Amino acid sequence: MSKTEFIKVQHRLSQQVAKPGGMTADIATQRARRELAAQAGDAKKSLGVTIGRLEAMCAEKTASADDIYVESAVVLDIAGMFDMRTLCDASYSLCELTDRLRTKDRQDWTSIGVHVNALRLIWSKDDKDADQLKSVVDGLWAITDRLDAS
Amino acid sequence: MALDPNIRINLDRSVVLLVDDNPQALEALSAMVRGFGVRKQFKCGSGAEAMHYVKNQELDLIITDAQMPDMDGYDFVRWLRRDAPPELIFTPVIMLTGHAPRSMVEKSRDSGANFILTRPFTPEILLQRIFWVARDERQMVKSANYVGPDRRFKNLGPPLGVKGRRKDDLSTHVGAAVDPNMDQNEVDMLMKPARVQI
Repeated sequence: MSKTEFIKVQHRLSQQVAKPGGMTADIATQRARRELAAQAGDAKKSLGVTIGRLEAMCAEKTASADDIYVESAVVLDIAGMFDMRTLCDASYSLCELTDRLRTKDRQDWTSIGVHVNALRLIWSKDDKDADQLKSVVDGLWAITDRLDAS
Repeated sequence: MALDPNIRINLDRSVVLLVDDNPQALEALSAMVRGFGVRKQFKCGSGAEAMHYVKNQELDLIITDAQMPDMDGYDFVRWLRRDAPPELIFTPVIMLTGHAPRSMVEKSRDSGANFILTRPFTPEILLQRIFWVARDERQMVKSANYVGPDRRFKNLGPPLGVKGRRKDDLSTHVGAAVDPNMDQNEVDMLMKPARVQI
């Protein structure tokens, strides 16, 4: 059996964060929010383009579950940086659905289509009407969970 | 457990590497980190490109996406912990994940990242994780199957500078002495049984 070593490491980062100067956590997060807000418009456009690619895949019905998964993960990646929770929940459900589909070596364009339509709806609402959209996301999860039962 | 908003954090001199294959997400991450006061950051879109930076730059923190084509974040961190230049193998890593496919759960656990942060997250959460990584006192483990922070659970109380949820939640971090050392008589008096009159 090979030897296991335990090593005490002093990271440079630990010394840097404690140096005098810098800013309070409150100011740092406010600045980060301002910087992020400047990116929000481009992010929204990118999300729209990615959802458009998913819509095209649903229309052609030739893409693999892997391809759908990759595009859905892109939505989750971008929306996740901007704390768009509803859009994240919906894209997470689509990721989970396609992951289960590829594991079972199946394809279900109806369920995928419902998810993609929901993504477009949520994207167009900008995370407003949270209660209404929550019931949409609950419906998506009901579709995804049904796959385990079938 | 939220980070105390009044706690000071200085990232002026920290060099951060950001890795994400999605340009929009990478820009957003870069904007957040810039807001935290980081002046020097490198951005790249793949694990292979990140390897190049690790070999050629001094880095204090790496924030990487988990899922990327070709070399994903898990494989990149595995490489970092095993085959990177010796002075950089334990560079702190925060891994960002979106959806975790079932097939990736073990790979994620064994990658050796310091923290895994699930999307969606806010700037507060990312800053909190950076703070935790900076104050992380876990030892690093180097074995045949795993290189990374010690994953064994030990209750150390809340991280230093963070209030616990219960009134008796105290961090086990002792910190520097604030009073002069006691002399031997004072120590003896603390332990000496005394007769009391009831």
